[in-house]
Amino acid sequence: MIERQLLVANKLGLHARATAKLVQTLAPFRCNATLTAKGREVNAKSIMGVMLLAAGHGTPVVLRVEGDDETAAADAISALFERRFDEEG
Amino acid sequence: MRQVLAGHGASRGNALGRARLRLPLLLDVAEDRIGTDQVDAELARLHAAVAAVREEILALRDRLQGALSHEVGEFIDMHSLLLDDPELLRGVEELIRKGLHGADYALRLQRDRLAAVFAEMDDPYFRNRIDDINHVISRLHAALHKRTGDVRGVAGEVLVTDAVAPSELAQLQSQGVVAVVTTGGSTLSHSAILARSLHLPLVVGATQALQQVNDGDVLVVDGAGGQVVVEPSAADLREYRARVRDERRERKQLYRLRREPSRTVDGVDVRIFANAESREDVAEAHALGAAGIGLYRTEFLFMGETLPDEDAQFRAYRDVALGMTGRTVTIRTLDIGADKADRTGLALTDEPNPALGLRGVRLSLSRAEIFEAQMRAIVRASGYGPVRVLVPMVSGREEIVATAALLKRVRRDLTSEGHEIAEHIPLGAMIEVPAAAISLPGFIDVVDFVSVGTNDLVQYLLAADRNNEALGELYTPLHPAVLRLLENVIRIARRRAKPLAMCGEMAGDAQFTPLLLALGLEEFSLHPGTLLEVRRAIRACDLDALRSRAPALLRARDRAGIEKWMRANAPADA
Repeated sequence: MIERQLLVANKLGLHARATAKLVQTLAPFRCNATLTAKGREVNAKSIMGVMLLAAGHGTPVVLRVEGDDETAAADAISALFERRFDEEG
Repeated sequence: MRQVLAGHGASRGNALGRARLRLPLLLDVAEDRIGTDQVDAELARLHAAVAAVREEILALRDRLQGALSHEVGEFIDMHSLLLDDPELLRGVEELIRKGLHGADYALRLQRDRLAAVFAEMDDPYFRNRIDDINHVISRLHAALHKRTGDVRGVAGEVLVTDAVAPSELAQLQSQGVVAVVTTGGSTLSHSAILARSLHLPLVVGATQALQQVNDGDVLVVDGAGGQVVVEPSAADLREYRARVRDERRERKQLYRLRREPSRTVDGVDVRIFANAESREDVAEAHALGAAGIGLYRTEFLFMGETLPDEDAQFRAYRDVALGMTGRTVTIRTLDIGADKADRTGLALTDEPNPALGLRGVRLSLSRAEIFEAQMRAIVRASGYGPVRVLVPMVSGREEIVATAALLKRVRRDLTSEGHEIAEHIPLGAMIEVPAAAISLPGFIDVVDFVSVGTNDLVQYLLAADRNNEALGELYTPLHPAVLRLLENVIRIARRRAKPLAMCGEMAGDAQFTPLLLALGLEEFSLHPGTLLEVRRAIRACDLDALRSRAPALLRARDRAGIEKWMRANAPADA
């Protein structure tokens, strides 16, 4: 299992578009993935789950992935967070 | 027993049919327990419902291509993502498997649990996402009951419900539903606008309808008068039949006007342009004798997975120019923002305040290469017929100056590349931001024409979202501030001899025609579906007399005063 500390650095937080991107990025991977924020752990492959985090700008989240392709998945998600979900500004 | 229910007429037309009640979301599901032997059957029902809803959503997307696709496309995307969401379904499955509940009650419980979590959220954006979940769950619930047929629309039925979503209307109509009656809603909502363009009679605000109407009651719906008669008498039926005959006769008479000029009683020709975004709109506009296209929306080109290149855009714009055979075509540059999100990632979808965000010309100017490709495509199309460029969401001089510079550079480039382009390509500004309306004298010298977008202008001026039903009638063009601003903008354009058209909903609503003529409007741009009605209204107006009564209109101090003026000045036969 891989665990990474990430920060929601994009201005708008995990709103609809960012959430959709996150879920779509994870979809091709077979591993299980969860996000934890504010004491709640949700399935990171679920748009509803991620929405339930209501993670706004500046929220620290923990990503946990477990499975064959966990390294690639963790890298893809970390990169997405670092790119601030390709949001402008 | 005969009963009359009063509501508000949101979409005209007459209908006679049996009532089909749709109760508010899951209200009618009582707690239940199933035996362990029924678990598999309930899971199978649930999965069949998911498959059916997935099918519905796909079919809906297909049907919506063209005219109104971008209005509802975004809801649909969200809904299909939610439908495929592993968590949403797993929760329901567990409630069936471990809680031993039927699929209906499991859906309700899952929905209630989620609603409780969402209700706790501080951020109103996140909190409101429950609406999307509600919609998907109520669709699933409807699909569960397909066997007993008590939720979906059936031909010849009038749907009676608390609220209807824009995305449902086209589907209901294709199922043969003849009218919709809602207990809530407003005549200015998105659903109302959509119902009017589908010609589906809609009565909103019939507050007692769910209490007073029973499933299967016969209803007569008068979509213009906002009235519903339950179990009509012989006299009601006679009246209904007479109204239907009138409607038919009227439509026939209206259709004769397609070859007639839009000329007032005192002989002044008013120009009616059409708003268009599809090939069908363009063909219809041409057939109905529109003076040209006053607003060609280009957003649909940007709704695919990838951005359209210059050539793809050029072909679309060229075809409109060809389709209008020498009449003017006004192409509006890209007008998307966070509320009309594309799938290419061009617009931000997550702006906290999309109406006040990076949209229209602001977005175009921030993405120079995309703006340039669009401008080049428009200018190239000018070789095939008269084309004008219209820039949305302008708030001041700088944006128009920057756009004019781009237009100039693009013209020079294309000429040196050997393209045949028009000598003159007029550049116009949409007036929809109050700041632009107020500061128009400061930049009218750099535009060739102006077009007033009343939908946004009214919403920004009154700080009232037209889709927020809680605001009721607060969003209305019939506010003294709106009329004064319009009069002012029209006067400035006239003094500087710049053509001015109005392209919002207001221009396409014949009840406003005398009022707009009184304010000095000479060019209308509207959906082709309403062109003939407005032409008829113009032909019944005496322009000179109306202009002389403009001061009285501008003195009105409230909506009631404006409506009084409208009643006094309604054309005799409208």
